[in-house]
Amino acid sequence: MIKATNISHFYGDDYILHNIEIEIKKGEFVFLSGDSGSGKSTLLSILSTLLKPSRGNLIIDSNNLDSIKNLDIFRQENIGFVFQFHYLINYLNIYDNIALACLDTKKENIEKLLEKLNISDLALRFPNEISGGQRQRVAMARALVNDPKTIFADEPTGSLDSKNSVIVYELLSLAMRNGTTVIVASHDMKIEKYATKTIRLVDGKIQ
Amino acid sequence: MIALKALSKNKFKSLLIFSSITIAVMAIFLISAVSQGIIGMYSKMIKTDGDIIVTQKGIADTFFSNVDIKLLEKISNIDGVKSSYGMIVGASPIAHIPIAGVYGTTKNHLAHYNILNGNYPELGEVLLGSNLANQIKQDKVKIGSKSFKVSGNFHSSVGFEDGGVVMNIEDAGKLFSRSASFLLVSIDKGKNVDSIVNKILKFNNDIEVKTTKNFIKEYNQFKIIENSSLVISSLAFAMGLMGIASVMSMIVNSRKEEFGIMRALGKSRVFIIKNLFFETLIMSLTAYLFALVLSLIVLMILPNIEILQGYVSGSLSVEIIVYVLISTIFMSLLGSLIPAWIASKTDPILLINQGCS
Repeated sequence: MIKATNISHFYGDDYILHNIEIEIKKGEFVFLSGDSGSGKSTLLSILSTLLKPSRGNLIIDSNNLDSIKNLDIFRQENIGFVFQFHYLINYLNIYDNIALACLDTKKENIEKLLEKLNISDLALRFPNEISGGQRQRVAMARALVNDPKTIFADEPTGSLDSKNSVIVYELLSLAMRNGTTVIVASHDMKIEKYATKTIRLVDGKIQ
Repeated sequence: MIALKALSKNKFKSLLIFSSITIAVMAIFLISAVSQGIIGMYSKMIKTDGDIIVTQKGIADTFFSNVDIKLLEKISNIDGVKSSYGMIVGASPIAHIPIAGVYGTTKNHLAHYNILNGNYPELGEVLLGSNLANQIKQDKVKIGSKSFKVSGNFHSSVGFEDGGVVMNIEDAGKLFSRSASFLLVSIDKGKNVDSIVNKILKFNNDIEVKTTKNFIKEYNQFKIIENSSLVISSLAFAMGLMGIASVMSMIVNSRKEEFGIMRALGKSRVFIIKNLFFETLIMSLTAYLFALVLSLIVLMILPNIEILQGYVSGSLSVEIIVYVLISTIFMSLLGSLIPAWIASKTDPILLINQGCS
């Protein structure tokens, strides 16, 4: 469960988010929608602990954000990320990119995911040697490798064609059906049919 | 190891850092070595010839010193004195060479040089150092207003001498208007050097008598060379090291996105800093070793470059090698780890966004 109370974020006098109140239950597929600049990516970053809010309180599985001693380990154990531009490390091959995020206890997941996502034959290639769709599948494998409780995805299909976009939606949906909470920020409305809850942001406020 | 993978995959960046560190370290090595080399050559020239040196009192440089050569007779009569020599040191254009060392010497000092052919030069004759002889293929050379017959050649491991001429001390006296620049005295083993110094001092009020060891330690010219070399090499050192630090800092800043991704994936600050530490260490150590080898090669070649007349040579002391090693590693780490530490404290998403911008 993720509970955000009175979350605001601002840079100087510019407010990005205003008093956001959200509660996301375990196993939900939440679609954060909104136009560019509406604050959906900032909210996603805050909910995923990648950004500290200027004000407000965030509770993840009964842990208050401020009380989490080691956020890095917390993220590795509980959260998976999918970014619009994949953000794979260019000097690591596909296998190592996934292994970089992997907990020692989850190493056996790497091979399974490579097979499941049909990218086993790419394992020794480097990110610049594969297509955009393949890169996003690698990013999905990296997000799923630790069996996270929550997956956060920021515009995961932003750089993909419709065919590859559907593959990503299906994978996220499958993760949800396996009990993972999925939170996606996107302005692609096609994702709405996979979501169990839609939160629309307008000018930093929930509509 | 991630550090090695990062270095090998980003070949161009790695090569840039490697080259910057190599050039900076080489500059430090060569400036220090060449300035030490100049001092070393002159020290060797004096040290190998005697235990005591007699110069004119209150003269800052042996070039301006004038000592009565007749003192040699009195000195040689002192109990415990093995031998004594007189020398005139000067410099003059020789043939087409703009400046070369001119050494007027007494006959008993000729053994100091490795004579390749010829004998002690008679009046109007000179012996050419082998380096100079390679550049002047003439039977006669003009030094000052006088013409001298080339009567032979010698070789000396001291670059200043090998690129110069040796002549009769009488000719040198006329050329430079002095009796002798300094006198060198060798003493018998086991004899008290201080007592002999005191005895020589009593011969003349206008002379200064020192052990060659003390002379070299206190010689003003060496102090000037040492001080200017210290200033120049310190500046080169500071510039080189700041260059290393700024290159490393720029490289780290260009990798903010990567650090942000790693933090988002749950990698700790320590993990990021540790990997960067190894990357920097591998890079700076390799560049340092490469620079050391290149510098040694350059220092081997320098004395053999004819145009330099053998005057430019150098040697690296163990102290310099160790000092530069420690400083290179320290500055590389400082330049990379401080920005990495600052970056590691930034929110991961801000790092990713900064990296993209």
